[in-house]
Amino acid sequence: MNSNRSNTILLLPVGIGIVLLALLGLHIGDIPTNGLDVYNAIFTYSDSNLSELIIREIRLPRVCIALIAGAALSIAGMLMQTLFQNPLAGPYVLGINSGASLMVAIGILSGAGFLSTELGLIGAALIGAFVFGLFILFTASFLRSQIGLLLFGVMLGSFVSAIITILELSSEAESLKAFALWSMGSLNGVTIEQLPVIFLVFILGGVASLFIVNPLNLLVLGEEECRLMGYNVKRLRLMIVFITALFTGLITAFCGPIAFIGLAIPNLTRMLFKTQDHKLLLIANLLFGALFLLSCDILIQLLSAWILIPINALTSLIGAPFVIYILIRKIR
Amino acid sequence: MIEIKNTEIGFDASLFAIPEMDFDQGKVHVLLGKNGIGKSALLNTLSGLIYPIEGSLSFDGKLLPDYSYKHLAKKIAYVRSNVKGVPFLTVDAFLLLGRYHDKNFIGKHSAEDYALIQKAKDLFGIAHLADKFTNELSSGELHLCAIAKAYVQQTDYILLDEPTSHLDYANKRKVYELLGKMASEYNKGIMISTHDLDLAFKFPFDFYLIESQSKTLKSVKTFKEVEREFI
Repeated sequence: MNSNRSNTILLLPVGIGIVLLALLGLHIGDIPTNGLDVYNAIFTYSDSNLSELIIREIRLPRVCIALIAGAALSIAGMLMQTLFQNPLAGPYVLGINSGASLMVAIGILSGAGFLSTELGLIGAALIGAFVFGLFILFTASFLRSQIGLLLFGVMLGSFVSAIITILELSSEAESLKAFALWSMGSLNGVTIEQLPVIFLVFILGGVASLFIVNPLNLLVLGEEECRLMGYNVKRLRLMIVFITALFTGLITAFCGPIAFIGLAIPNLTRMLFKTQDHKLLLIANLLFGALFLLSCDILIQLLSAWILIPINALTSLIGAPFVIYILIRKIR
Repeated sequence: MIEIKNTEIGFDASLFAIPEMDFDQGKVHVLLGKNGIGKSALLNTLSGLIYPIEGSLSFDGKLLPDYSYKHLAKKIAYVRSNVKGVPFLTVDAFLLLGRYHDKNFIGKHSAEDYALIQKAKDLFGIAHLADKFTNELSSGELHLCAIAKAYVQQTDYILLDEPTSHLDYANKRKVYELLGKMASEYNKGIMISTHDLDLAFKFPFDFYLIESQSKTLKSVKTFKEVEREFI
């Protein structure tokens, strides 16, 4: 226990790093701005100043969504890994993203009525994520093998992409382009008007996670052990799926699919903090996830003069090798 | 007291019957029988994990299904035969989970909780393992920790499914001695299943045999009575 406590000090530099990178994120971009503009944009904002307008309307939402998406996806991954007692579980590999993607694809590509409106898309993504989450939970009840469940998630993903391909072929050029851009993943699409809603949903999921940190500590011993210690596991499982779907659906709707964060960050935090204390893990995933995605986004912007990298591509480029490293470590 | 009457025990189908049997607190009850005869099924049933195929059982005058999960966790601790270690879960953290049923949702541990796990560690001789991760222990060490966790749970009854099968001879003896002590000094009702016949019969325990011929549970007094079953 003592060995864990000394590691919590790691959270401090991460927190400071987030603040510094966030300021950097507000500062850099195609149009040069200086530190004073950033200060003014935050504290004494006036929309008649172009620099301040850009910082406030374009960069601030981008920085915020990077932080929220990174944190939300990492927490979702932690929840999945504890639920399935599987270090390789995550919202992306298990196909919970696919549920959200499918609904978004139907919304954008069909261009039909309510589904293609902003609110409709978010609702659809949340429902898709939740239904797929329940589907995986149900499958896990009889598919006991860890690898089997992951394969199931991958198959679910393939199945959904097949359906999406068919939808793409039969849709119009305009919506096809919109969907293609969405599916690359982007932190650009969020406007400052949307931020409060996103923030609210994120807080809702965060608070809900806080409520289940203690049962999660127990869940690492297995479901029967949980039951023997007097806890209703069914309720806990539903709660986990609900929170995961909330986070995944929210982020997928606004930013497109973002791979590997939900898999890599929870593993990284468990390795760094060497604990199963989920209160600490929750905070760690929140901070590390936020820091990681914001770093990725800033890296993308710094490189944008030479090469354009979609966010989903970058997280995969970094995340996939890391996951392979975990796999090799685990098997040895 | 655990009271069982006209009950059929099994996982999906009935494995054996218990016409009538009472298990008192303050004693160690030893369950004997061949592999697959239903010892674990009985322990699972008593723990509330599965229901009896037929009939009912009661703890201290109250039917088992009438207990809430939480209340049951305060009444009965159950050490499974296959305890598994968890990466990054220290022995201390593992033992503290034994206090879970006593916690509100904030889950803060009290000074008494820490005193209790310290006592458990001393009692079972695992103090030197406190900071180790549970997945890095030997199966014997891990099992001692699991029994210590059941002690930390502070229940009236403790069920143990083959608690000594992973242990070396010295630790087998120690566990039997400790179980006897917990029964007599703390008035706990303890039920174990075991295949360590020779050793178990050296202790002043109560013995029960699930007979493979009649498929019933009956009380036995001497080693002679069970001998036939295993030859």
